[in-house]
Amino acid sequence: MRFQTERWLPRLFKLGLALVLCAGAWQCRNGWPVSANLMELVPQAAADATRQLAEARIQEPLSRQLIALVAAPAGADSAAPARLLAERWTRSGLFSSVQVELNVDVAALRAQLLAGRLAMLPAADREQLASDPATYAQRRARELSDPFSSSGLLPVDQDWLGLTRRAEQALRPGGAVQYDMGTGTLQAEHGGKRWVLVRAETRSDAFDTGSPQGIAQQIDQDRLALNASGAELLVAGGPLYAAAGRAQAVAESSWIGSGAMIGIILVLLLTLRRVRALLAFVPVAVGLLTGAVACVAVFGSIHVLTLVIGASLIGVAVDFPMHWLGKSYGMPDWQAWPALRRVLPGLTISLAASLVGYIALAFTPFPALTQTAVFSAAGLLGAYACTVCQLPAWMSNGWQPRPWPPLLRFAQAALLARERLAARRAVLGLGALILGAATVAGISRLVIQDDLRQWLSLPAPLLQQARQIGEITGFMPTSQFFLVRAPDTDELLRRQALVAQKLDPLVKRGDLAAYNSLSQLVSPAADQRALGQRLAALAEQPDVWKPITDLGIPFDALRVELQAMATLPVVTIDGALQGPQAERWRTQWLGVHNGEAAGMITLLGLRNTAVLEGIAQGLPGVDLVDRSGELNRMFAATRIEAAELKLLSYAVAAALLLLTLGRAATWRILAVPLAATACALAALGFLGQPLTLFSLFGLLLVSAIGVDYAIFMYERVAGAAASLVGILLGAATTLLSFGLLAISHTPAIANFGLAVALGVGFSLLWAPWLRPPVAA
Amino acid sequence: MKPLYMGTHLFIRRLLMMAALAILPLTARAFDLNDLQTQLRATPVVRGQFVQQKFLRSLPQPLTSRGDFTLASGQGLLWLLRTPIKQDLRINAKGISRRDETGAWQSLPQQTGSGRENRLFLSVLAGDTTGLQENFDLALTGEANAWQLLLTPKSVLLRQIFDNIQINGGKLVDRIELRETQGDRSVLQMTDAVAADALSPEEQRAFSD
Repeated sequence: MRFQTERWLPRLFKLGLALVLCAGAWQCRNGWPVSANLMELVPQAAADATRQLAEARIQEPLSRQLIALVAAPAGADSAAPARLLAERWTRSGLFSSVQVELNVDVAALRAQLLAGRLAMLPAADREQLASDPATYAQRRARELSDPFSSSGLLPVDQDWLGLTRRAEQALRPGGAVQYDMGTGTLQAEHGGKRWVLVRAETRSDAFDTGSPQGIAQQIDQDRLALNASGAELLVAGGPLYAAAGRAQAVAESSWIGSGAMIGIILVLLLTLRRVRALLAFVPVAVGLLTGAVACVAVFGSIHVLTLVIGASLIGVAVDFPMHWLGKSYGMPDWQAWPALRRVLPGLTISLAASLVGYIALAFTPFPALTQTAVFSAAGLLGAYACTVCQLPAWMSNGWQPRPWPPLLRFAQAALLARERLAARRAVLGLGALILGAATVAGISRLVIQDDLRQWLSLPAPLLQQARQIGEITGFMPTSQFFLVRAPDTDELLRRQALVAQKLDPLVKRGDLAAYNSLSQLVSPAADQRALGQRLAALAEQPDVWKPITDLGIPFDALRVELQAMATLPVVTIDGALQGPQAERWRTQWLGVHNGEAAGMITLLGLRNTAVLEGIAQGLPGVDLVDRSGELNRMFAATRIEAAELKLLSYAVAAALLLLTLGRAATWRILAVPLAATACALAALGFLGQPLTLFSLFGLLLVSAIGVDYAIFMYERVAGAAASLVGILLGAATTLLSFGLLAISHTPAIANFGLAVALGVGFSLLWAPWLRPPVAA
Repeated sequence: MKPLYMGTHLFIRRLLMMAALAILPLTARAFDLNDLQTQLRATPVVRGQFVQQKFLRSLPQPLTSRGDFTLASGQGLLWLLRTPIKQDLRINAKGISRRDETGAWQSLPQQTGSGRENRLFLSVLAGDTTGLQENFDLALTGEANAWQLLLTPKSVLLRQIFDNIQINGGKLVDRIELRETQGDRSVLQMTDAVAADALSPEEQRAFSD
């Protein structure tokens, strides 16, 4: 006898699946919507527009720039291999710009120096000219008479006072990277080698599909070509990390996926011994598809790490058909639709409980987990729908799985052993005591640790090259920066100068290699005018300039120059940023928005972040932006949130159970995940694994899975042994997929997988202890 | 990692001076750069006086300064200005230093912070012309007792600053002329240059601290 519903359910399901497929096809119209941008996985700081602009500026080079250092073999032309590399990169078509030689337009540079000689004069010189011009004049006279520092870029008669020379020096970075005039390249000296700098920008954002792989391959070939001539190559940059991350994630998700698949196929064939049982994979495929489509629909793309974690959904989604097919162990007359009707309440409650677990993840501030939650919740719904609507239609007409008797016997033996144990109150009490003590001991060993680095696992060679480049150039960019705001540009430059004053001692001490502040490049307009007037006033004091006139330079020439300073036009920040020599400061200027001028002070080669504390204190409009520190603090805060979520998910599960199964069932069923969680925590402690946010989130899932098993054991559809077989099969598949996550190279994912695997193992261990309340 | 455009030409200018001075102890022999190097390495110490003149476009009279120099192979160069300003300068592996009022050597802020240039100085001092050849085309003409070495910058950037550098000498270097593209010229003339075997105690002190 078949119900009407059993006729139209499969049709309805096929229609829904067709819709999902169409949606997926449409989402892929511009290529795979898969992203590998690590930045998408960390929480976005709640920030105003200015700060977001600043952060985007900081991240831009991170994602698009490649930096290479090339060392020629001893005795060869130092720049030749670097030029070869630049040529290869240009030819490859992968980059929007490749820079090895700086073609300096000397004429333009001269004009700019002349126009900016007041604006670019370092603060120390401005002060000296204001307070002690005679000393300035003496130094200038020495410069003029010294053949080794005779003049700057400008002819002496255009700049008697040497103001442009002082400005030139201000334009020079510290650090080891120097402009080599002979070759026109930037070079750094390290360990007896001369490294030539090559910079490139990728055509598209590094995290876009395709391009990172192309770049990684290109660089492998370049390395071979350069090594053949004895040259050495070091490369670092966001696009490479993206390539590595993506390659690893794709590899992991595919082998975790295929590993789980193979394991599950074996389990299905071994325990159900029918080829048609392999149709249990259809819900899995449907689940993965709906998960991916839902994820792209909600977030616009799906992250590779979500795919890695999502691959483990295979093990959970297959539980639905497993429970249903596993009932054949207790029902000799197993028939597709009737069996489904019997397990449907259990399946539905278990779906609801799992959804609660996943939805709890969705409320965490971590996009990584939010994506996983959406992916998994949608995936479970898809798998459930497929199991309930479509599978029985394919397995009806008298088809039956062939249970594997040894498994049933094992389940029966296990349950019998449990009965015997339960009968011995003393042994049971002692066991409970020992277990309790062990659990407490394990939990007390737990180390709580959260760090952004657990999210990344870069291959060692890449990391090592980045470190070497940092050592050679002396400039490791840091993610911390100061955001300075002010009502107008002059005030902005003054505030930046105050921060710079506090940073100078750090540079002296060596805690900081260098910093880039707009105040190094240009002085406030008011200061420029004041300096111009001061110099014009000094035109009336020939005595001050005696050291220079003594050399034979006529005072008239000096006077004309001094007087001209009063009318030199003011140089704005935008004006000072013209030309290639100001490149170092270009990203620092954020512009004026809504009556607020904003700029950054970026830091290079920071030894330890603690020295930055207190620098922004007492300075109005100055904020230290420390993303990684913030994220780590956020991890800590989220841990508490995760614990609250966990409690909340228990409350929701309890409410669900109270409504459906009653009070007696509720506390019994909840005891399983609680005990499993405690044991999993203890096991983590004994294993020496840190407790991270990810393990906590893993345990959130465990509570859902534990409830799931407990319900099946409590319901006992078709008998305790058949139910135990059902959860055994479910646990086997879940362990297979999550257990595989535990060997991921990304620490966060491994942690997550291990926590889930342990939790599932303990849930499996404790679920059989459930007994339905003695019928009153 | 930002470009550095500036100040290096100063160094180059110094380098040229150094290069020129390095070739001071040139004796009359066959004329190629290798010989020149061999010669230079053979002369441990050269002392003499110098006159430096800067011919500026806008001034009828050159700016003139005078003083004494000591060039010690492997040690460096002492450049003692006497008029119009008294100023003692020293160039060695550590860079350029100036003797302050107390008599202690203060290193001048490096125009270009890398050690490479100082090594280049010293390689030039030691008569190693390969260092120069990286940045300049060298052309040696004339004969042993009246020769001229013409240095022409190779790079686009240097060519925008210098036209060329001429070094003239007989037994020793007599004259170095540096021509800038903008029309200014610097002329260094060495007079009374004599080779010696050893440094005076005072010079030794100057080089050692």
